Amino acid sequence: MGKPEVKGTVTPLSSMFPPEEVQKAAKLVEEKLSEKRNEMSQLKEFIADNTSLINLVQKLPDELHHDIMVPFGKAAFFPGRLIHTNEFLVLLGESYYADRTAKQTVDILKRRGKSLMSKVDALKAEMQDLKAEASFFDSTASEVAEDLVEIREYEEDNSNQSESQSGPTELESPTLAETDHKMDSKMGASKDDEYARLMSRLEELEKEELAAENGEIDEDEDEDEDEDANATETDGDENELTEAAFHRKKDEGYSSLDHGQRFSESQPTRQLQQSKGKEAMREEISNKYNHQDLTNQFSCTGLTAEPLTKGEMSCGRIIHQDKMLNPSVNASVPSENVSLNQNIHDSSRNEKPVQTSKSKFDSSKAFTGSIVEHTENLEKKTPGQNTTPSESSGSKPSKPVSRFKMQRK
Amino acid sequence: MSSSSTALRELQRDLENKANDLSKLQKDIAKNHQVRKKYTIQLGENELVLKELDLLKEDANVYKLIGPVLVKQDLAEANANVRKRIEYISAELKRLDGSLQDLEEKQHSKREAILKVQQRIQSHQAGKAKA
Repeated sequence: MGKPEVKGTVTPLSSMFPPEEVQKAAKLVEEKLSEKRNEMSQLKEFIADNTSLINLVQKLPDELHHDIMVPFGKAAFFPGRLIHTNEFLVLLGESYYADRTAKQTVDILKRRGKSLMSKVDALKAEMQDLKAEASFFDSTASEVAEDLVEIREYEEDNSNQSESQSGPTELESPTLAETDHKMDSKMGASKDDEYARLMSRLEELEKEELAAENGEIDEDEDEDEDEDANATETDGDENELTEAAFHRKKDEGYSSLDHGQRFSESQPTRQLQQSKGKEAMREEISNKYNHQDLTNQFSCTGLTAEPLTKGEMSCGRIIHQDKMLNPSVNASVPSENVSLNQNIHDSSRNEKPVQTSKSKFDSSKAFTGSIVEHTENLEKKTPGQNTTPSESSGSKPSKPVSRFKMQRK
Repeated sequence: MSSSSTALRELQRDLENKANDLSKLQKDIAKNHQVRKKYTIQLGENELVLKELDLLKEDANVYKLIGPVLVKQDLAEANANVRKRIEYISAELKRLDGSLQDLEEKQHSKREAILKVQQRIQSHQAGKAKA
């Protein structure tokens, strides 16, 4: 690692996101959200009517004929009888009717109910997206109001480059949580060179973490490495926070180098056997993995999620990603060999529990990297993302106005 | 002096015309969207009807509501009619898509033209102010 050169820019957030515009955007999102809520209530009404109709249709054939009051004109009734109680003329749609029995009618109605439910689900997903957008805008507005400043520093570390953005850490963490959710949904394909960069960074950081942890346990503190880490990290506060969290979450020893070495030599199949059955973690970890890709050259502490994904090969998606990762890992491994060798004796102690602890370790791991938002990207992406789902499902929400709803109403 | 002011007035008239055209285009685009929505709903409904018709037995009674009259129809005939309608609606949707593209392109070019005229007006006014 050469001496990092630091260049930087300082920009107040208010210049990037003018407050009035942010408020306008927030209002727009609010309007869309209320529209969706109205549609949702309408759909729920339809579903309720449908279920009550199903009940009625099921009860009618219980008698041969029912004595009822028949509506006559606009404001009169006369007593009458409902006969042929098992024959129903069902509207199929587009002014087509069919004679059906009670049971068949119930089937038709159930199918309609299912399609309504699927529409409700789609609408719920849209509303969630909108809510995330709204909360993001709100937080941006508050940040802008507080005159937060975006600080960008460019480190030149051989071929590595990293950016970071800092502000008050407490504000960042809630926004990070929100952006996490959004990044989950927005992550597309990942890029190999980002992997390479992240991987090399990851190796360095893991080495530090490991050394630090070993220092805790073995009283073998490697302060130089920690200092290096902090020097190269530009948001030191966050690092300490996340490193602490990292250590808390590390239950057993974890040898990143084992991962690195194995990864460079072996096939994923070995690791497949180790961490089967962690489906839930898989998703979470792949999402965190995606975070790293999205936070594009951001400095991350303890990027343990990456080796984690190598361990969690039970998912096709991750396997795909890992395949992309493999070549870049191989490329970066030679450069990291020195640091790897350094830690081999440290990690030898950890090799034993690694096998059994991998799965446990995986479950205890969480992404402790500092996800730093690149808010402009998100802003551009979120409107883009929201228009496409709304377009694709645009026909569906308007469908409730269809003639399925009682024509006589 | 007067020549430049008449030129200015002409430019402004030009700008007004273009703005009117633009608003017309926007209305057309909005109408297009509406009609597209309607057609999409109808398409969805027809597909549902087709599904239900497929589930019917051969001898089931199918009726069509034509005005106030419920007319008995043959299942095969009803199937054929619904399919034809679906094809027709999809063709209409495609046509509307094409025209929507056209309208959007025209709108785009109109906007650019308006921008240019505005710039010319500004340069004229700047020239007048100098002189």
